Amino acid sequence: MTDARITADIRYSVDHKVPGMWHLRLVRAGIPAGTVTAIDATAVDDEVAVITPEDVLPHGKYGCQIADQHVLASEPKYLGDPVVAVVAATEKAARQAAAAIDVRYETSPAVFDELEAVQPSAPLVHAAHVTSNSDSAYFEMRPQDGTNVCHHFRIRTPGLRGRHEPNLLIDLPSPGDDRLADAFADADVVFEETFRTPAASHVPMEPHATVAEWVDGRLEVTTGTQTPFNLRQDLAVLFGLPAESVRVVAAPMGGSFGAKTFMRTEAIAAVAAKAVGRPVRCVLDRDEVFGEVTRHASTVRMRIGARRDGKFVAKQMLAYLNTGGYADCGPGVAQKMGYAGVGPYRFDHVAVDSYCAYTNLPPAGAFRGYGAMQSAWACERLVDMLADELRIDPVELRRMNLLRDGDAFCTGEIMRDTHFEELLDDVAKAVAWQDGRKGKGIAIMLKGMQTPSRAEAAIRSLPDGRFEVHSGTADMGQGSVEALTRIVADLLDVHPDRITVPCPDTDLVPYDTRTTSSRSTHMMSRALAEAARELRNGGTVGRGRIVNEGGLDPDTGEGIASSHWHQGAASAHVEIDDETGVIDVKTLYASSYAGTVVNRPAAELQNEGSMIMALGSSLFEEISYQDGQLVNPNLSDYNIASALDCASIQHRLMESPGAEVHGLGETAVPPVPPALGNAVASLGYRPRELPMSPERVLASRVDGRPAAR
Amino acid sequence: MSWQMPSTVDEALRLKADNPGATVIAGGTFLGILSGQGLLDNDEWISLQNISELKTLGTEGDLSVGAMVTHRRLELTPVVREDWPGLAQAFGVVASPRIRNVATIGGVLADADYASDPPSMLVASRAVAEVASVRGMRRVPIEDLIAGHYETTLADDELITRVVVPRPRGKGVYRKFRTRSREDRPTVAVAAAREDDRVRVVVGAVSDRPQHYADICAAWKPGDEDSAREIGAAYAEAIRCIGDGRGSAAYRRRVVGVEVRRVLMQVGP
Ligand SMILES: Cc1cc2nc3c(=O)[nH]c(=O)nc-3n(C[C@H](O)[C@H](O)[C@H](O)COP(=O)(O)OP(=O)(O)OC[C@H]3O[C@@H](n4cnc5c(N)ncnc54)[C@H](O)[C@@H]3O)c2cc1C
Repeated sequence: MTDARITADIRYSVDHKVPGMWHLRLVRAGIPAGTVTAIDATAVDDEVAVITPEDVLPHGKYGCQIADQHVLASEPKYLGDPVVAVVAATEKAARQAAAAIDVRYETSPAVFDELEAVQPSAPLVHAAHVTSNSDSAYFEMRPQDGTNVCHHFRIRTPGLRGRHEPNLLIDLPSPGDDRLADAFADADVVFEETFRTPAASHVPMEPHATVAEWVDGRLEVTTGTQTPFNLRQDLAVLFGLPAESVRVVAAPMGGSFGAKTFMRTEAIAAVAAKAVGRPVRCVLDRDEVFGEVTRHASTVRMRIGARRDGKFVAKQMLAYLNTGGYADCGPGVAQKMGYAGVGPYRFDHVAVDSYCAYTNLPPAGAFRGYGAMQSAWACERLVDMLADELRIDPVELRRMNLLRDGDAFCTGEIMRDTHFEELLDDVAKAVAWQDGRKGKGIAIMLKGMQTPSRAEAAIRSLPDGRFEVHSGTADMGQGSVEALTRIVADLLDVHPDRITVPCPDTDLVPYDTRTTSSRSTHMMSRALAEAARELRNGGTVGRGRIVNEGGLDPDTGEGIASSHWHQGAASAHVEIDDETGVIDVKTLYASSYAGTVVNRPAAELQNEGSMIMALGSSLFEEISYQDGQLVNPNLSDYNIASALDCASIQHRLMESPGAEVHGLGETAVPPVPPALGNAVASLGYRPRELPMSPERVLASRVDGRPAAR
Repeated sequence: MSWQMPSTVDEALRLKADNPGATVIAGGTFLGILSGQGLLDNDEWISLQNISELKTLGTEGDLSVGAMVTHRRLELTPVVREDWPGLAQAFGVVASPRIRNVATIGGVLADADYASDPPSMLVASRAVAEVASVRGMRRVPIEDLIAGHYETTLADDELITRVVVPRPRGKGVYRKFRTRSREDRPTVAVAAAREDDRVRVVVGAVSDRPQHYADICAAWKPGDEDSAREIGAAYAEAIRCIGDGRGSAAYRRRVVGVEVRRVLMQVGP
């Protein structure tokens, strides 16, 4: 197979253009919070259509988990929130029109920091919280009325339930006031610390690109999206249409990493197409991509209790997620950050409170790692601090407490197919742990997959002897077309040349939850196996359907967090210039449990890609804001890792004979920052905040003074 | 839009004199970003790309670098590496090969970005720019060419045509200090050129223009660590550092002290 990416035969969403289309530009709020008082469009040409918040009011609000967003904002929630759209025959005319519009505002108080946002005195970003009816609101939301918390996820293991506790904790309670203090009664050592992760950008090479068009009363949208069916549903609700009257074509994406999930610019493009009666295209500029959706900045406070011999007793965790002006899938991220922060360990008691908090910053949503990175940073740094305190080797301390087959996780689900110990040993070996541990660090984590979820697929035999695969799995550069082709070729025992995989088109392919959380290869491969079986039994179409049941009780965390677990570990060896704080990464290694590998080169690229992103997050990637203004929305001021930064990367896909296919797209993200952090800590530093810029490293020196020579 | 492509320097100077508002474009790496971000909306351009006299590189005697010579050529040309190693080094650590393949010496000097690598090494090496207009030619030492951040002493009708770098009289070392990706601009740029038993230390990327203190350098004792440390501390004290996304002012001040000491130990004893 010649890769269409190499022969330039692939038509990315940004390549999709249709004759007669007009161009959309957004006018964005110049204030972080307040109300639009006047829109002056008198300087705009007559041929340009101007769409205002009032025009979109009838559509109501949308949101994948909380219905909190209008198609255009009359009360902007962040600096950059779209308030007006202009549509013109050329891109240039649209840009000129957008620049000619004068918007007046009345400002109101804003809040930017997640810890400030949960204070009782904080200004409210949204007056009320309304749960979305969308399929993507797949668990019960627990908004805290009268606060900025749009979802509060809790875990209370059985011994800690049924107590009268405050709804919102701003700090870890001191043992005297703690309603859960008895959880730590058996602990000889109790250790706690606060960890921070900033917002980050996905930086897909291709920006968000959408073309919307109305064809005989039906809405057709071609767009880069990981969530075609969620998008179809949300668009249908906005326009009061049955789902069948909306068609979403998920064109191949030039990268996404979570940036192209749920509704982005599709709704406004659809409104605009209706207004001008022709197709409308919307492509974001790079600085707009930075502000479109980010990774959740978060603060995690964590307390761990252990016996002198190293056995873990209890963990308490408070996570505060900065979800920005709109919830997006922040509630889901809060849930995953919550249980991933417990780590792959046995505890007698676990109490987790994860708060998804609104602020007046750009919205945060799905991001490779999905919350697990932020809480693994806390969990794994804290385990090392505890190991120091107990004077136990960090590898052995982990080994003593790891979850094994048959153990119950904090959610009550029984673990199976666990490989944590092998992963731990593998990463320790990669940095020659046995030869001394100066400059070395390790970390291990577990990450869940979207549960519950449903995947359907069909295989159609074509008259020319080929087979067409109908699957909702979107290609964002991970090579899903190739993976699906190989899986079906294997299942049908035919040459891959006889398999064709059209891109997901909701008119053509059956339902799939979405291409996120590294679920697709795992879920889709099983749906396709059923479809192939049915096809073999006769007929021209085979259909398959896989449903994974589960989900967690939002108040106790009990249930099935994940129908299969992503298990990963990492290790690092670093040197530090102790006069300047610069980290020199000698080795960065990650080991991911893959079960059975479908396509080795592609799987290896997933591991490497995850590590590269995580390396950037560890060392320098950070979105900076000043009074709500994103100040580094370009690739000169916001650095991502370059080829030269990646020389130290090595990794492994751990397979197990006969095991099922495991998702791999994110497993190597969360363990990397704490492995690096622990390596840095072994040299006399105490990093708590990401990224570990040289300046922060110096400031974290345990003796308080940077080295002087 | 007008896009002029003169093939001689005289022709370019004439075009520029007739239309001082036109934008001169060399490698286009800096201008590409400006126009991409909508910060530059000019319809009249003069490209220097076809002027072969601006692409000459003379290595007999002093190094004579045409304004259109790329970073990559200075990085890779064997005689430059051999005889002007500090210079080859400074041009070789700019951005990535993609940028170095097209960015030019004229462009980096005329754009006068505070966070560039080559200017401090050029100042340390006593490089002089030849600046021409229809009114004639003048020679301007690099320290007098760069007036501040994005600010030069070039008149509207003037072009940089050539940069002359004297033959080194001792070791030259450039140290690029980065805090983020390996393709980032410098947080601190330190250049040192040894002239027999004396040294010229120049610190860039920490303030609006490259900083050199002859009086501080005068105290240098080659190979002496205490002397190097004292000069480092004196530079850190003397320069009013700025803060940006790459590092705060206080952090830069600290690194200046360390990096000046290190560069002096590299060019000594
Ligand atoms: C991604 C990226 C990373 C970078 N990283 C670094 C780095 O790490 N270190 C570093 O030092 N620099 C860095 N730079 C800056 C880069 O070196 C400069 O952009 C480049 O040197 C400019 O040269 P050019 O030929 O492309 O100039 P152009 O963009 O063509 O022009 C730059 C300016 O100079 C003027 N000009 C050009 N030639 C002349 C002339 N002969 N006479 C008068 N005026 C003239 C132009 O009118 C314009 O104002 C980076 C740039 C980019 C895009």
